[in-house]
Amino acid sequence: MLSYIIRRLLLLPIILIGVTFLIFSAFSLLSPMERLANYITNPGALKNPQMAERLITKYHLDDPFPLGYVHWIEKLIKGDLGWSQSANQPVWEAISQRFPATLELVLYSIIPVILVGIWLGVISAVHHNDMLDQTIRVTAIIGWSLPTFIFGLFVLFIFYGILGWLPPGRLSVWAQDIVYTGVNFKSYTHLVTIDALLNGNIPIFLDALRHLIAPIITLSYISWAGLLRITRSSMLETLRKDYVRTARAKGVDEHTVIHLHAQKNAMIPVMTMAGMMIIGMLGGVVITETVFTYPGLGFWAASSAQQLDYGSVISFALLFAVAMVVGNLIVDISYALIDPRVRLE
Amino acid sequence: MENKEKLLLEIKDLKTHFFTEDGVVKAVDGVDFEVYQGETLGIVGESGCGKSVTAFSILRLLDYPGKTVGGEVIFKGENLLKKTEDEMRGIRGKEIAIIFQEPMTALNPVLTVGFQISEALMMHFKIGKKEAINKSVELLKKVEIPMPEERANEYPHQLSGGMRQRAMIAMAMSCDPILLIADEPTTALDVTIQAQILDLMMALLREFNGSLIMITHDLGVIAEIADRIAIMYAGKVVEYADKKTIFHNPLHPYTLGLLTSIPRLDVEMKRLDVIPGIVPNPLHFPSGCKFNPRCRFATDRCKKEEPSLIKIEEGHLVRCWNVDKVVKEVKKGFLVGV
Amino acid sequence: MNRILRKLFSNASSLVGIALLFIFIIIAILAPLIAPPLSEDPYQIPRMSWDIAPQSPGFLMSDNIRDIYTVMGIEIKWNKAICGTAEGGYDIFYGLIWGTRTAFRIGLITVAIAALIGVFIGSISAYFGGWIDEIIMRITDIFLSFPFLVAAMVLTTILGRGLDKVMIALIVFGWMGYARLIRGSILSAKEETYVMAAKALGVKDIKIIWKHLLPNTIFPVMVQGTMNIGSMVITAAALSFLGVGAPVGYADWGQMVSFARNWIIGSPGYAGQYWYAVFYPGIFIVLFVLAWNLIGDTLRDILDPRLRGEL
Repeated sequence: MLSYIIRRLLLLPIILIGVTFLIFSAFSLLSPMERLANYITNPGALKNPQMAERLITKYHLDDPFPLGYVHWIEKLIKGDLGWSQSANQPVWEAISQRFPATLELVLYSIIPVILVGIWLGVISAVHHNDMLDQTIRVTAIIGWSLPTFIFGLFVLFIFYGILGWLPPGRLSVWAQDIVYTGVNFKSYTHLVTIDALLNGNIPIFLDALRHLIAPIITLSYISWAGLLRITRSSMLETLRKDYVRTARAKGVDEHTVIHLHAQKNAMIPVMTMAGMMIIGMLGGVVITETVFTYPGLGFWAASSAQQLDYGSVISFALLFAVAMVVGNLIVDISYALIDPRVRLE
Repeated sequence: MENKEKLLLEIKDLKTHFFTEDGVVKAVDGVDFEVYQGETLGIVGESGCGKSVTAFSILRLLDYPGKTVGGEVIFKGENLLKKTEDEMRGIRGKEIAIIFQEPMTALNPVLTVGFQISEALMMHFKIGKKEAINKSVELLKKVEIPMPEERANEYPHQLSGGMRQRAMIAMAMSCDPILLIADEPTTALDVTIQAQILDLMMALLREFNGSLIMITHDLGVIAEIADRIAIMYAGKVVEYADKKTIFHNPLHPYTLGLLTSIPRLDVEMKRLDVIPGIVPNPLHFPSGCKFNPRCRFATDRCKKEEPSLIKIEEGHLVRCWNVDKVVKEVKKGFLVGV
Repeated sequence: MNRILRKLFSNASSLVGIALLFIFIIIAILAPLIAPPLSEDPYQIPRMSWDIAPQSPGFLMSDNIRDIYTVMGIEIKWNKAICGTAEGGYDIFYGLIWGTRTAFRIGLITVAIAALIGVFIGSISAYFGGWIDEIIMRITDIFLSFPFLVAAMVLTTILGRGLDKVMIALIVFGWMGYARLIRGSILSAKEETYVMAAKALGVKDIKIIWKHLLPNTIFPVMVQGTMNIGSMVITAAALSFLGVGAPVGYADWGQMVSFARNWIIGSPGYAGQYWYAVFYPGIFIVLFVLAWNLIGDTLRDILDPRLRGEL
């Protein structure tokens, strides 16, 4: 197991370098003028072409590819991601301000993904081919046929448009005043629900929750639908294994056979898939936050793409890619820990 | 043979069919035999003849789409086929235990060996976890696995093939079952280990006068340990008698074929006979006697009418129309020794 | 093959999928008849009015637009917005019909090309092995490090709006799955005894790949491809919805929904007033993807021998 982990860790920097290389290649498809926008705060103020030329040379924007790459990496290592035209602030600042909102959404969404996806998947497998299984399967198939944005719009329509229960955004205006101005409210974690509890402020807690429910439902649907299918097929395959028959042959009761003997094995590939699904929610975040105008990283990513804020676009690409790479690493390592056959090589 | 001994298990006309999309597979279609206390019954036949399915049918461990559709399985005087699932659970592992062919797949890879051995004990005797693990260690010792304390905490993949099979035996014998069914327990093992495993099983059973149903295609193994033998072909028992009779006075052409196709060191043989043809496709069984396409004694009657299992002499049953012809062959002197 | 076809038609869910797909194919083929184009580019949705707000179903083309067409000498073959108009007066019905063609184009072309690229790269990787395999696999990993939508977003932002750019983006980040799939299949098939037997008999490598390896390993790729058609269409629609996909007014379902984001809440007191702007394109997307998923799901069950209920 150790050699497996070491190997994965050694590959990490290589993959990350490759990622930066790919991003830079895409960035280089743009003209130097377009890329310049990432380096200066107000490109509209560029009066004459000579000034633009000077700046382009200063920032190495017309250097040959390898040199340009090196300079860009240098900038990256220093933590300088440039300027976001759409947010009108340094990219790094734009990211760190919006990160907690997205984190909060994703963390809460993990719960239904794992609980519903796995739980229903097991039930579906055990009731193989009868009515319950068919119903669950259909729900799941609809789940991954339904684009996130359509489902999100649908949820918004029903629960806000018609019922008025779950408004878009992150907080109601009155709550925003309190939280963002910091009057009588200390933001310890910047996760509003947690902070509200820490401050003992229940109304804000409930308000935040109210705004989170619809995005959580939307974000998690596709993920738990996919996880359900994987759990179901993993369980079906496992239930056919010889050792399940052995357990029955010993007189073990059916509940233990399913939930100990079978499930413990079936969960191994499912757990890694669950990890992938959660990481995959990174993509869904963009759409979900856009539909519900939830002020997180995804919303900013979409709006900066619309406004052709190239600097921001490649920055969030970099961010999401790094998150995925690290996430995959964690998932791979935990796989090695869960499966005794890998753990005790 | 002896009625003085206690009749432990009686199978009467057992039928188990598989209802697949491609048709009904009559895997077991009329199996009869008896097992007495303290003796070993060998079930012999080629792959696909229904031996394993018979074993699973006894314990009612059939997977979908299999179903036992007829016959009786009388264990200690009661028909197991009529029992509830709860009652069967009380019998499995406790009174009737089974050892499977491939220990690597039959053992759960994510549970420790010790736990798996102790599970039946905890289930049937309601003892605590600690006590159960201690018993596991004792059982591992009994099956001659070195360093049993360490082994109990290990996982199946950490044990060698022979040790895994011993662990399986320990697991099956944990509750001292009165009947042990062994489904090809030595087929996946080296020849040298085979003998050890067989001896081990016999020794353990002898301790409390348990019985063994030994399922195999290997006549050599049968010759070693069986008291009585049932020869199976295409889902039916075709001959049933004690060991001596089977090896000296077989009456079914298939049995004869089996015996003459194994190389023997004690008898001079000119060449190995081969049973021509192949095992029939269970979806398209031949009409009449299932063996007739491959049988050199086959007559027209064989092609049309299926023979039933008939008692030729005391303790010897055969399913064939041409028993006399087989007797003539045997008299020619093919079989000596054993 | 016969068995596969038989299974496809006997399973309830795949039958539904096939029926749906059939309907879509008919719509796509008959598009020029059902919704005759009113301009040179049939994929440009005609506008019924200059109004920003969506108009309800049954809306008639406004006079000022009519006049423009007359002046341009274009025959007005129809003038009623059967399903209403989206923001900016774009006729929804027209967009739905021609959007079907767009959907097929996107789905089939991107999957076909991505699969070809993927199979090619994966085969090379598996065939040569060694460090070539390592490098190719690491490159695959690098491409896989990006969430699909995010990667496509970046590329379409940089390349600009347009259906072709969308397809490029989808292909550039869509081949990896096939590469891994074919590589895995070939690697395990290489070890199969029948391949070793062929090798032992002296059959040439190329022949082995062509006759033995490819036929057996191509099926999972085909199943995967079928299932991916749906997700490609969804991603393309998502890109259009976000405003970085098809250009405004293009006959693309996702693009039509992008209009709807602002109108979904309706006006005060009458929620859901503009339901049709989202509902119609939305239902088309869902049914189209559902059709492919149902078929793909059944195919997967068929080709997975373990789930066939065998003995």
